Order: sequence, then structure tokens, then C-alpha cells
Amino acid sequence: MSSYDDHHPSGWGPHDWGHGAPHNSWSPLIMSIGIGVFLFSVAGVYEWGEFIDASYIGVSIAGLAIVFIGLTVWWRQDYTFDGGYEPRSTGTPFRGIEIRKVAIWVFLMSEMMVFTSLFSTYMRYRFGIESCESVFASGEWVEGASVTCFEPAGHLIASSWFHIAPGAINTFALIISSFTIVQALRYAGMVDIDSDRRRKLVTRYLGTTWFLAVLFLTLKMIEWFLGFPLPEFLHEYNHGDSTIKSLYAEGYLINADSYQHKYYNTDYVASHGHGMDHDSALYLMMEEGTHSGGQMMANIRVSASTFYVTTGTHGAHVLGGIIGLTYMTYKASRGGYTPENAVSIEYFGLYWHFVDLVWVIVFPFFYLY
Amino acid sequence: MNTRISRSLVVLAVLSIAMVISPAVVSYPTGISGVKDSGCNCHGAVVSPDVAGSISGLPDQYNYSEEYEIVVSFTGGPANAANSNQGGFNLWVSDGELVPSDATVQAYGVNEVSHTEAGNDQTSWTLTWTAPSSDKNVEFVLHVNSVNGNADGNNGGSSGDMWNRLSAKVSPPILVLESADPFVVLSTLILVSAILLAITLTYVFYRTNPESFTWDNFAPWIAEWLTTTDHKKIGTLYFVAGMFFLGVGGIMAMMIRIQLSVPGNDFLTQDQYNQFFTLHGTTMIFLAAMPLINGFANWMVPLQIGAPDLALPRINAMSFWLQPVAALLIFTGVFSGSGADTGWTGYAPYVVSETAHMGTTMWVAGQIMLVASSTLTGINFLTTIAVMRAPGMGWLQMPLFTWSILIANLMLFLSIPAFGIGLIQVYLDRVIGTAFYDVSAGGDPLLWSHLFWYFGHPEVYVVIVPAFGVISEVIATSARRSIFGYRSMVYAMAGIGVVSFIVYGHHMFTSGMSPTLRFVTMLTTMLVAVPTGIKIFNWLKTMHGGSLVYRTHTLWTLGFLVTFTLGGISGMFFPSIAMDLHLHESYFVVAHFHYVLVGGTVFGFYAAIYYWWPKMTGRMMDERLGVIHFLTGFISYNALFWPMHRLGVWGMARRHHTYFVSTEEAMGALPIEAAGWNMFVSVSAFLFFFSNFFLIANMIKTVIRGEKAPADPWGGWSFEWMTASPPPTPSFDPHNLPELKDANEHIANEPGTLGKLFNRLMMSEDEEVAH
Amino acid sequence: MTIQNALFDGLWDYYIWISLLVSIFTFTWLYHHSFWYRSDKGGEHDNPDEIEVGVFPKHNDDMKLEVAWTVAPFLLIVWLTYISWLPLASVWAPVDDADFHGYECEEGESSNNALVGEGYNAIVESECYHVMEITGKQWVWQFDCLELATELCDTSSETIEVYGTVPVLHLKEGETYLAIMTSEDVTHAPWFLGLGTKEDVLYGQDTSLWLTVVEGTSDQIILCTEYCGDAHSVMAAMLNVHS
Repeated sequence: MSSYDDHHPSGWGPHDWGHGAPHNSWSPLIMSIGIGVFLFSVAGVYEWGEFIDASYIGVSIAGLAIVFIGLTVWWRQDYTFDGGYEPRSTGTPFRGIEIRKVAIWVFLMSEMMVFTSLFSTYMRYRFGIESCESVFASGEWVEGASVTCFEPAGHLIASSWFHIAPGAINTFALIISSFTIVQALRYAGMVDIDSDRRRKLVTRYLGTTWFLAVLFLTLKMIEWFLGFPLPEFLHEYNHGDSTIKSLYAEGYLINADSYQHKYYNTDYVASHGHGMDHDSALYLMMEEGTHSGGQMMANIRVSASTFYVTTGTHGAHVLGGIIGLTYMTYKASRGGYTPENAVSIEYFGLYWHFVDLVWVIVFPFFYLY
Repeated sequence: MNTRISRSLVVLAVLSIAMVISPAVVSYPTGISGVKDSGCNCHGAVVSPDVAGSISGLPDQYNYSEEYEIVVSFTGGPANAANSNQGGFNLWVSDGELVPSDATVQAYGVNEVSHTEAGNDQTSWTLTWTAPSSDKNVEFVLHVNSVNGNADGNNGGSSGDMWNRLSAKVSPPILVLESADPFVVLSTLILVSAILLAITLTYVFYRTNPESFTWDNFAPWIAEWLTTTDHKKIGTLYFVAGMFFLGVGGIMAMMIRIQLSVPGNDFLTQDQYNQFFTLHGTTMIFLAAMPLINGFANWMVPLQIGAPDLALPRINAMSFWLQPVAALLIFTGVFSGSGADTGWTGYAPYVVSETAHMGTTMWVAGQIMLVASSTLTGINFLTTIAVMRAPGMGWLQMPLFTWSILIANLMLFLSIPAFGIGLIQVYLDRVIGTAFYDVSAGGDPLLWSHLFWYFGHPEVYVVIVPAFGVISEVIATSARRSIFGYRSMVYAMAGIGVVSFIVYGHHMFTSGMSPTLRFVTMLTTMLVAVPTGIKIFNWLKTMHGGSLVYRTHTLWTLGFLVTFTLGGISGMFFPSIAMDLHLHESYFVVAHFHYVLVGGTVFGFYAAIYYWWPKMTGRMMDERLGVIHFLTGFISYNALFWPMHRLGVWGMARRHHTYFVSTEEAMGALPIEAAGWNMFVSVSAFLFFFSNFFLIANMIKTVIRGEKAPADPWGGWSFEWMTASPPPTPSFDPHNLPELKDANEHIANEPGTLGKLFNRLMMSEDEEVAH
Repeated sequence: MTIQNALFDGLWDYYIWISLLVSIFTFTWLYHHSFWYRSDKGGEHDNPDEIEVGVFPKHNDDMKLEVAWTVAPFLLIVWLTYISWLPLASVWAPVDDADFHGYECEEGESSNNALVGEGYNAIVESECYHVMEITGKQWVWQFDCLELATELCDTSSETIEVYGTVPVLHLKEGETYLAIMTSEDVTHAPWFLGLGTKEDVLYGQDTSLWLTVVEGTSDQIILCTEYCGDAHSVMAAMLNVHS
């Protein structure tokens, strides 16, 4: 016990880990203040989707900066961690297991509930609101008046192979990154290689994971906001269009209360693809002359909100992973991982596999179906 | 070095707080269409002393209901008779009615007038003010614009225009005192409490070592508190924060009771009342009850299971520090006069409607942080209890308080993400304009109710179950017996935990939810009575054959048994739906949940304070003050909440700013006796509020000069009584953990069947057991 | 002016009796034990169970007793559920379920509703019912009698001293009404104080509520009981009952 008495670690780090967990840290206080400032100022920038005050943008960036300062302090304390004090379980039935590994599993349990709640929201709206396709086919709309219906993003995205491409590549990127993180763990824990080779391999695999995560978010931005052009020889496979439009350009937005799309235009549908469905009520009504056809306008704010918030929450988890990986790659490049503390890569890996797994569920529900 | 860092950190904290609060202060929303405070922006933002407005025709003292013709005019500024336009004005009055005299003036409601298009080319206007019919201090606020009528003047060109403001006061025939703005009262009280708290803490610091009371000692001392990751210190921080907000919530409750003491009262306006009950609920549940529970959980769980600290000490500090910041966000609304007014349930679509106050957004943001805090707490406690029990302590050898914390955290942990997601949806709806709860876009208000109550019901058990744990500890120790039916106690708590997830629909019996679901939740709600009954009977049986030692914590425990039983019984009225249709949202509900939350949780934690205080501070509490606290508190508490049952049955509705009784002249909702009972309730409320000062006095007194406490003053068996009072840091030496023995030899030290299975599954063969 | 309707009264009285029994049982036990088994050594500890720090104490349990007080409350709640069943079915009777309120009345037909049964079995049965509409909006109630004759259902407004001008709904004694309800903005809930019933009105959805104006129902205030904003507490209306 005496070893504790003369042990006065600084609240700013780095810590002397031989004595066990750090006893003081400024990080929690700083990060909390940063989060508070951030949440406060974001609400100053926008109000019900309307831009209010640009000066708050600066404050919210300041908030994030404060969070980041706190995070740096946290990492600075952790940086010296060499596995010398890895607390282990004393209680049955987990005796001997690293405590922090159990904690990560517990954490994933709550993450599970987070995504479950998001999916309940999705299912409530997906199955509770009539889909735009069936409203269109039912003919219960008139040109110029907006109808409320559910337009799954998958309807837009799955309409063309090129449109799916970013999401599909992302799926593979995440799956591969799950593999590379395990490789990093494997080499970090390998006892019979020399330390320089270990350093290089671990850095390489963590770096690859980092790169794949960044690729994921980049493609997501392309898919949401930027879109991309297609080479000419592919146009014919893309309904003759020269570009893949982003969801933003398609008007698939949280404020889209009068969303118009060519698929809901009788003229376009009649002249493209397989033409109009001759069994649909709309077709029959148009034949009878009781419906004049034209462009259906839809309020799809709920569907867009569900899509962006669910995939955005997943994206935020990827971003969190990138921030963590940045630190880990840096630490690895300085030879910070040894077989003694390789298990900390596993902790991150558990989280990262979970993020991967969530994507594997999000992708079919939101992109294909 | 440390001093400099802590000084700069304090400066940083103050700056951040100022930054958080200042925009809210600027936006103090009492302006008349934004004119009163920010000036008339329609003609440029140049305030000029050259422009002088005046109001003539006003008396110094008005006569009731008399009409006064007043003339508003201004001189100075760029106004010039040659201009096409010369200026305009806006006049606001706090009381009475303003009526235009001619077509150059137009009225916006009875409180505000302005010039019309036709009145643009003048510098003076005439109108009529009708004085109020009662005694009011009347305030006039005048804004005038002096306009240069430049080139595009008709099109609203405003360059070079100037404005100024003027205010005037008129007294009533009989002078009245300015009535205090309840918000000012509340803010002042909160500030005063905070300052008192700071002074108390400093004084306690001073008394603990008067010689070293210097800044050089104080700075590291305070920095230690701000950065600590020791479970005991964080526990104390939680405890202090919880007690502080218990006081703040109490002050709000008192103001609510002042408002309700007589029918038709207007001490609080509707608008203020709505914010008070919202913040009272949020404060009491999230900022008082939960931190108090976490305070004791932090203190006692590692001590009880023989662990050196919690599993993740820094995460633990993070859980705590999120809370004061969240509290600031939640209260920004109060300091700006436009706090959340949604009820703690924040039902959609009201919570996302523009009629809900602006402060609602920050109320939501603060709660998002509290959700994060609770999640981190959950990770910490679940992990700690699962993996850090001392050797020899199997699952069924844990002290019951630890069990209760485990169950509570499990419930909270599995339910709070739903609430968090709901809050994030509301936050995004209110901020960036998503449409989760926008009914016109297809949003479903019931989705919020489901997400909220899926969390909300487990949440109310989260705050009561730890009290069960406390009571189990205290009654067994006080009766000098082993708790009766340890295993059935554990199963009962686990049963409550399971049932909590499937009963939440009983909050929605009158909503549009599907009748089948409502019916199912009626059955499950009835079921809650079974495990609760088991617990109460077990506690009673524990006393049998024992030797009950009367201490203050024993008294509070017996008090708990009375009030919690009553609260439990009144709870049985709700699942009978034909009755619930009448009782829902009435004062019967208010009485019921205060009986279980105050009579249950708060009494339980009063018992905990008296029980564990010697362990936490090393000082015995004063028993005489304790008994006085119990007697005054218990009696005034029952006088406060018992009559509410009858008021509710009579028809007094919850969340109503005021109520009216039937008299011979007019029909009201309540019988005339209700007025008297409400006054009785209000008086009792104040008595209950002030009875808590005995507790505060007791705490301060004993910290300073209490009798030194032995390690095991009451004769408990669990590990916390093994350590010194107060315990060292780390609480147990990690290399020499205590080992639990078991008086029941047949199960001593052996993992159960499940434990063996887990052991096989979860331990790789080459891994060494740590100890 | 206590309560309200017979349906509530019967259940209420019954529950009060049960509560009294449970409380007397529990509190007698509590008071007996807390005096009979108190320590007479003024704080010095007896230690009948040989409790010792660091030793998990001897089990103190009795399977029979524990099972007894698991089963007894369970039986009690089964019984309480059973007796709550009929009133529940009657307050939530589905529309067009002929068991309680028959079918929608033809013109000129009367519900002739009446209280059937006694005590906790008291429910209201009617031959047929009339349909009307209630709409809530911030912060006023709107009643719509649809095509009902004015003697069955009428609306007006009245200025009363405390609530100001409020809408008044005139209903006839002995008639049963099905109120189809909706809201124009946020959630509200009309509480018919003297009928002892309420139900939320939701924006974008219809809900329904049975108004069984049995003989002897008095004039009463209707309040809003789902928090709806500033003037929530004075969002009142009156129910005027005539014969």
C-alpha cells in the first residue's frame, strides 16, 4: 500500500502505469464542458431547420476543440500504457479475464439498444406510413398537391447499380477493415518476431484500417452530397444518365415536403423502362380519364429523417473509430504496442466489429430494401 | 505548477460558463415583438441620444379605469418636415388598455400600439390609455424613430435613421409594492444556495485543518476534487450535487405550493408555472435522486464487494462531470426566463411545436448529456460488480445493496438508450428540422411516448430499487438479524427488473395506443405487486426474533415501510382501468408517485445517510437532531401528500396552474373544501421543506465536531465495515484483497452451476488466475 | 360532488376495502414487531445470528413462508384483475360490439341507458348510442353534434366567472354518446369530471370515448388533462345535462 502514498500522478498525464490506474485527470471535466458548449451552440445555429446565427458556428467548433483538448489529455495519460498494469477480474465467473474487455462487451450491449431504438423508429414509419410507390400506383394524388408517404432511400439507391456502388464498396471496406484490425492484433501479440518488424506490421495494419474507415466516410459524403460522373460507355447501363446524382441533388432531404422524382412522373414512367403497370389503379384511372396523370409531389421528411439519422448515427460511430485509430496508429508507429498490451487493440477491435456488424444490417434495410 | 494549472482551469471554467450563459441572457424574451429590448430595427440600428421621445398627458397617479388622452412625440434626429417620411413609434404598456385615437395609430392587442402607414409623416401621435381597474404599477416603454426619408425612403431605406427609447412609470391610487418576479426569486435562491454551498465547503475545508488554510493549499485541494478518479471522492461529489439539486427542486416545489395554496392564485403566471413543474420533475428525478443514488453506489459498491476502486475510474469521473454541465444546460432556460414547459415527460408533438418555449431545446440537450452519463455509469457498475468481487464472494453472497445497484443499473442500461435516441430525435427536430415528430409530415406522437416510457418506467424503478437495497441492509443490521429470505429478496428484485420492461404501457392507458397492448400492460402492472409484496413481508419477518436497535436510520427505515406500503397500495388502483380513466393525470397520481418517490427513495436515502455517514466521514451523526429530523419530516411529509389523494379523486388535475372551487355564485371543478385542503397541503409542504434543515445542520455539525466513528459502529457484516472510517485509498490493497467467508458452509466458495459453466466457457486454459 | 359515476364508485369502494385489509395486516405486523422485538439494551448489540464482519451471515429463510407470501399477493391480484375485467370491457367497449351499447341509434331512437349490477360489477348498458365529435386545439374545446337533434345534443357558450367564456355541451339524461375525437395541434385530453372518464385526443389520429350520461348526472366542468402548453389549465368546457 505504501507504493500508493508517494504516487502523485499529474492530472494532465502521462502516467506512471506501474502503480495502477491514474488517480487524477482533468480530462473528464474538460470534455464535459466541451460537450455542453457544443450542444448549446449547435442549437444557436439552426432552429427548426432554419439558419439563425452564424456566430454560433464558431462557438460550436470551440466546443469540439475543447472536447478534443480533453481527449488529448486522456490519451496523453494512456500513451505510456505498456500493459504493466492490466487489471484482471477477481470475481467468478469471469476470473482472470481483463476487466476492460468485459467493460467493452457491456458497452456494446447499450450500443445494441441504441441501434434497436433507431430500427424501431424505422419500422414504425416504414410499415406505418404508406409507401410512395403504392400511393403513386393507387392514383390517390393530384398534380400540384403534396401527399405524405414513405419513400425509402433504397428506392432511389437500388434503382441503379452505380448508385449502390458507394454503399457496396463501403460494405466491403468495413469487412476488410475488420480483418486488418485482427491482423494488427495478431502481429502485436506475436512474441517471436523482433520489435521493429512488429512495429512496422502493426502500424501498417492499423493504418490500413484507418484508411478504410476514412474511405467509408468519403464515399458516404459522395453518396449524400457530391454524386459522381460516369464514363460515357456506362451511360446506357444507367438509364442513359451521364452522372450519378447525390441524394442531396435528388432532393432527398429532411425538409423535402414537396419531393418530386421522375419515377413518380407518369410521362417518364410511361416512356422509360417497362412502362406503366397496366394493372395499377393509376393506369386504369388514366385510361378512364378520371386521373390526368403528371408529376406526383410527396412529403418525405419522415423517411429522409429516418434514413439520415440512422445511417448518420452509424457514420458517427465510424468517425469515433477514426479518431481512436488515429491515436492508435500513432502509438503503433512509435512502437507502443507489445505482446503485453496488445489486448488494447482487441478492445478497439470489438467495437470496430460491432460497427461493421451494424452496417451489415443497416445496408440491406436502408440501401437495398 | 499545480496551482497555476488549477487557476487557469478555473478561469477557463468561468469563461466557458459565461459563454454558455451570456447569449441566453441577451435574448431575454420580454420584448414586444422583439422591439422592447433590441430597439426598432426596421430603421437601422443606430441608437442616438439626439432623438428625444416624450409622452405627455400621463398622470403621476391614475384613477381606476379612467381614460387618459396621451400624446407621443419626439424631437431631434434626421427628421425634417420636408422629408416624405419623418418617423414612427412603438409604445408598450404593462397594464390597462391602449386605443388609437385616429388613423395614424394602430393597435397590436391592448398592450401595444404603433404608427400606421398614414402616420409615417408625423412626429407626434395621439392615443387613449384606459387605466387598469385595480392597483398596478404601470410601466410604459416608448421607442421612437427619427427618419431621414432618404431616396428610397418609401421602400424602407433605413440608412441614417436613428432611434431611441424612453420609459415612464405611473403609480396606482393606492401604492403597491412591486411584486417579485418568481423567476428572479428562483434564480436568486439558486444562486444563494450555490454560494452557501461554496461557503460551507470552504468552511469545512478550513475546519479540517485551520493552520493550512491558504491559497497554496486550497488550490491543490480544489484541483484534487475537480480531477479525482477515486470512487469515494466522486461519490462525495455526487452526493453534494444531489443534495444541492434536492434543495433547488424543493425550492421550486415550494413556489408551486405557494401558487396552489388558494384557488385562482396568480403568484406564478401560467407560463412560469408550466416551467416550474417541468423543472421540478426533471431536477428531482435526474439531478437529485439519480446523483444521490450514484453517490452511495460509488461509495459503497466497491467497499461492499471488496474492490480497490471501480473498474473504470476515469470513466466514472466522466459520468459525474457530465451532470453539472447538463444541469447548466437544463437551467439556461430558467435564467433566460423561457425554460422548458413540457412536463418531465415532454410529450410529442408539443415538445417539438413552436408553442413550447425556446428553453426546451436546451432542456433536451442537457438530458442527452445525462443519458450519456448514465450509460457510462452503467458500464462501470455492471463491469465492477460482475468482475471485481473479492475472492469467495459468489453472486448470491453479495450484500443486498450491491444487488440493488446491479439490478438498477441493468434496468437503466438497457432502457436509457431508447430515451437517448428519442431525445436526439427531438433535438434534431427542434434544431436542424428533421421530422420525426412532425405529425403533418406523417410523424407519430405515440412513438415518443413509447420510447419515453420504455425508459421512463424502468427509470422509476431505478430510483426505488437502490432504496430497497438500503432498507434491506439497514433493517437487517438494526434488527441484529440476517436478512430474511436473502435469495427471495434477490429474485424479487430481479423480478421487478424483468417486469419493469413490460409494464410501461400503464402510463398510456388513456392514449391512443392499441387496446390489446393496454390490456397486456394492465396484467403485467398488476404483477408488480407480487415481488414488491415479497420484499415488504421479508423485511417485516426480518425483525422477527431480532433485537431492534433504535437509531435514526432505523426510524427512517420503519417510516419507509409505512409510506412505501401506502404508496404501493395506492399504485394498485391504477391498473384497474375503469378507475384509471378517472384518476389518470389527477392529484391522485401525484400523491401516489410522491409516496413512492419521496416516501420510498428519499426516505430510503435518508436512512442511508444516517447509516453510512460514519463510514463516509469517520464521524458519528447526532442522534438527537436525527430524531427531530425524522419526527418533523415524517409527520409533515404525510400531512403534505396524504390529502392529495382526495384532491385527485375530487377532480384536481395535475399540471394545472390553478384550480377553481364551486361556490354559490360560480361552478368550479372542485368542491369548496378543496381550497382548505390545498392550504393545509401548502403549509405542510413548507414544514417538510424546513424539516430538512435539521439534516443539513446535523451533517455540518458532525463533520466539524462529531464523535469519531469506529470501523463497524452498527455491527454489519459486509466488507465496508472492515475498512477504517473513513476508508483509505485505494479502498482495499489490490495485492491483498479480503476474502469472504460464509457461515453457510455447504455453498461456501463454490461457484454455482451457472458459474461453473461460465468458467468453462470463458477461461482459456493457459491463462493464469490473477490471484 | 364526490364521485362521479357509479361505475367508478363501486370499484373504488371495493379497492378501499381491500387496501384497508392489506394495510391493517401489514401495519399491525410492523407495529407489533417494532415494539416486541426492540433491543432493551439501549444500543448495545445482542447478536442472535452471530453476525461477523467479513462473513456472509447464516441464511435466515423459510421456504413455506416465502411461497405463502408470493402466492397470496398473486391470488389477490388475480382476483382484482378478475373484478376489474367487466368495468374495463365496458369502458373500452369496441364500437359496434352489441354487448354494452348496441348499435348507432336511428333517428328518434333513445339509448335508454341504465346502470346494471351493483358494487364493482356496476356497468352502464344502453340500447343504442349517438355519435358526436370533439376536437381539441390550443386552448379551446370544440363540440360538434353532427346530425343529432338539438334535444339530444346541442352546443353553446357561456361566460362563467372563473374560466371566462367556455363552450358548453348540452347532452340529454339517459343517453349514451360515442365521441369521436381528434386534435388540431398537440395532444389534449378531455376529462369529464362527473363521468369519471377521459381519453387523449391526438393530432392526426382519431380516438373515441363513451359518454354515458346516466340519470342523475349533474352539470360539470370538462378539463384538459394532457399537458398542452400555456393555457392548459384553463382549457375548460362545461357539460350541461338536461332531461
